[in-house]
Amino acid sequence: MNPLVSVVGRLALWVGSMLLVAGVAVIGPRRLYELWDGLVPRLWRIRYSLVALGIVLLASAVGRGSLQTVSELFGLQMTGFIYALEGNFVAWVQATFVVPELTIYFSWVYVYGYVFLLSFPFLAYLALPRTTMLNRLVIAYALNYAIGLVLYTVVFAHGPRNLMPDMVTSLLFTHNPDFMALTSEVNEAANVFPSLHTSLSVTVLTFAVLTRREYPLWTPIAAWLSTSVVVATMYLGIHWLTDVIGGIALALGSVALAYRIVDPDDDAESPETDREVAAAGSGGE
Amino acid sequence: MTRQIGRRKALAGVGTAVLSAGCIGRVRNIAGRDRPGQLSLEINTMPADNDPNGIRIARQLAENAEAVGIEMQINTMSLRDLRRRVLLNHNFDIYVGQFREAEPFDPDVLYSLTHSRFGAETGWQNPFGFADFGVDELLSEQRTAEGDRRRSVVSELQEALVDRQPFTVVAFPDALTAIRDERFEGWGAQQPLSIEGLLGLEHRGSSGDETGDDAETDGDTETDGDGDEADTATLELVTTDQRVTENWNPIAPEYRRYGTFTSLLYDQLVRMDGDEAIPWLAAAWERSDPETFEVTLRDAQWHDGEPVSADDVAFTYEFLGDTSMGNVEAPVPAPRFRGRTSLVQSVTAVDDATVRFEIGDVSRRVGLRALQVPILPEHVWRERTSVATIAGFEFDGETTEAVVSNNENPVGSGPMRLVEATAEESVVFERNAEHFLVRAGQDGGVETEAETGGETTNATVSDDGTTNMTTSDGATNGGTTNDGTTESGDGDVTGSSSIDGIPERFRGKPAFERLRVEVAPSDIAAVQAVGDGLADATFSNLGPDSVPRLGREADARLVSTRSAAFYHIGYNTRRAPLSNPRFRGVLASLIDKPLLVDEAFEGYAQPAASPLAASPEWVPEGLQWSEDDTDPVHPFLGEDGAVDVEAARDELREAGYRFGENGRLLSRDQ
Repeated sequence: MNPLVSVVGRLALWVGSMLLVAGVAVIGPRRLYELWDGLVPRLWRIRYSLVALGIVLLASAVGRGSLQTVSELFGLQMTGFIYALEGNFVAWVQATFVVPELTIYFSWVYVYGYVFLLSFPFLAYLALPRTTMLNRLVIAYALNYAIGLVLYTVVFAHGPRNLMPDMVTSLLFTHNPDFMALTSEVNEAANVFPSLHTSLSVTVLTFAVLTRREYPLWTPIAAWLSTSVVVATMYLGIHWLTDVIGGIALALGSVALAYRIVDPDDDAESPETDREVAAAGSGGE
Repeated sequence: MTRQIGRRKALAGVGTAVLSAGCIGRVRNIAGRDRPGQLSLEINTMPADNDPNGIRIARQLAENAEAVGIEMQINTMSLRDLRRRVLLNHNFDIYVGQFREAEPFDPDVLYSLTHSRFGAETGWQNPFGFADFGVDELLSEQRTAEGDRRRSVVSELQEALVDRQPFTVVAFPDALTAIRDERFEGWGAQQPLSIEGLLGLEHRGSSGDETGDDAETDGDTETDGDGDEADTATLELVTTDQRVTENWNPIAPEYRRYGTFTSLLYDQLVRMDGDEAIPWLAAAWERSDPETFEVTLRDAQWHDGEPVSADDVAFTYEFLGDTSMGNVEAPVPAPRFRGRTSLVQSVTAVDDATVRFEIGDVSRRVGLRALQVPILPEHVWRERTSVATIAGFEFDGETTEAVVSNNENPVGSGPMRLVEATAEESVVFERNAEHFLVRAGQDGGVETEAETGGETTNATVSDDGTTNMTTSDGATNGGTTNDGTTESGDGDVTGSSSIDGIPERFRGKPAFERLRVEVAPSDIAAVQAVGDGLADATFSNLGPDSVPRLGREADARLVSTRSAAFYHIGYNTRRAPLSNPRFRGVLASLIDKPLLVDEAFEGYAQPAASPLAASPEWVPEGLQWSEDDTDPVHPFLGEDGAVDVEAARDELREAGYRFGENGRLLSRDQ
């Protein structure tokens, strides 16, 4: 069977079951049930943000190849610079911590855990009566991708596994070559700065902290998973520390911008009001 | 390249000095001199995903140079970008890469690689900008010398090159290829990545189809419509090099590695298979006098149905010499095949199927190289002779459309034609049923008759030039059957001559109806695809990391052949301090070749000093890899992988270089 199809199938299975379990445990059956009724009007209310996210994702999917060419021709060749900046940090991480069990864990987190981490908040905030948080989340995702795409084009750099194969093993792909079929569909090897895995995970974490009153159980789970994803990017030899720091900055910037763009008042037309979410929202500003 | 330290601070100091002391003259004398900067060199190479070995060579050089005090930075880029920088723009300090020939090559290849007359040209023509009177002279001399004389000239040439080090030969890799025997056999008889290797493959007949393995039937159903039961085979290759899905221009050096796929699309007049000269698009050739070849063409068609004529051949040679065909004041030579076309003085079409080549006074073996360029259709390429433009704007008056064209609809005469391609994903070729190789297979009855002809026509060219002597002496060509001219020269250009001179193993080939090349994201994924039965063979470099993976796949195996595409470190000798052969010599001795072979290649390579090490008969004793595993000319300065810093610095100091307080090499502004 085509490795891509099999890996996508497994991905759907893992993420689907995790969403189910976490949905019941974190969101609660009652809210999940109510979600069904409110689904269409809530999605309609955030339609502009959804369209924006859609456009960004589409542009990324369609334009990635040509932007890559632009990057190759006119981008800043930064591999050597990043290496000069941080040296053997990633090599040190691998030399110090790599054991087979951790490799399995981080490979799992990098692919399955990450997709779950990104999809769960969407479901959780969709289950809230007010759409402010959902709107902000979608906007923040879109900003992450959009700014990420611009930076990918400006910066042309390869990751540690590509620069120092003598010291950094490409753990993910050596142990799971079919994952590569998946990641190569959605990413280019020369797009390392910033780490979008890091930025999107940290975005989710930031939202999880901001909505801790609404979903107290989600905050520690998100903290655990996103920290794992961030570590995994370096443990697996895919990203530089510099990419990770860039990713964190991108995440915080995107969340702040999303809060500026979406006011709680935008939700005024909503018949329901949920003080708690509004409070959590304004608390973040 | 040179970084000025604290220039601004220095200027501020000068300003104060001028104001306070006012002794302008003294300040001028001091500040008027450029301060020496700290040297920093950039190494360009491919990322590990695309070439797992080159990056390791670059890393070792960078680390050892750093230890000595020469700052080096590695930048990784795709092969296309690397070639663009190195071969087209000459915008590099140092690069690590592989040579363009996969199979052992004639020493004359060094002519275009190192002759100073090519220093300003683009392509694999002396990308180093190397210029040395002595080397130039030897290069010209080896073209005319015969036998032992040529051997000694070539020895001297290698010694000079190894001494001056325009590039440092590191090692000759074993080309590793993962293959499946299931559907095709004959892998590894030749270099599997060469056109001879691909054409030598045999289809395993219909047995494979009957077993109904799902992977196979998937591939076959697409071509079922053709109706040929045994021939509907698709050869599936997997590569990490996506360039073949984007560009099929035989003269675009940044897109060609060994040119295998363009060789399937475009025929040459003659192909060399080892020492054997196979008449290819030429049915026969005759050396009517020492400086003239008369070539008779086979009856052939372009993929668009037009006949291949002598005019096309004459056009091709003129075009490769000037792709603008006189449209631009200064000629714009094609960036590939320059060494070969530089042998040719003029080409004229005598009649529809006969071409006369005026070549200089060169040995027969070198002369044959002139006949090994892809023949292009005049009616397609004539339209590409104008200056290249982007949106009507001329970027560079020295580039023509022909050089920058992706050649999206390649019209060749070769055994395969392009069907479809998805950029960065895959490309599909199909067999050209009109090709003489296919026809040769169909002429079943004539085969036995032709075989006898075939044996005599296959000229075996020996290095010592004994056959050459007879040819050039006997200008009347009486009885010189080497070239096969006497039998096939007259009139039997059509009909049965379609088989003349074609070795048995190429008749009726290729054995595949379709050839599909899929792009994989890395060598490991490529090996996996072969292991999973999704592909018949890998078609790009495999790193040693992928070898253990293959052991786990039951039906796949590894074929290893020594490649002539040596890994080397190329220096841009236009830039100081790389312009200094002494400096290059020190860099060369910072490379621990045996260690690299052990650790980076994991033994799948042979360290070497001479670029001709793949043809050991040419390498003089003094340049052969020594018994004690050290470089005969530039031995590694150090032991057990650790560089002897003081020894290296002493050599650099002796060469006139100085080190700053922090132990860094200083250099005057270049």
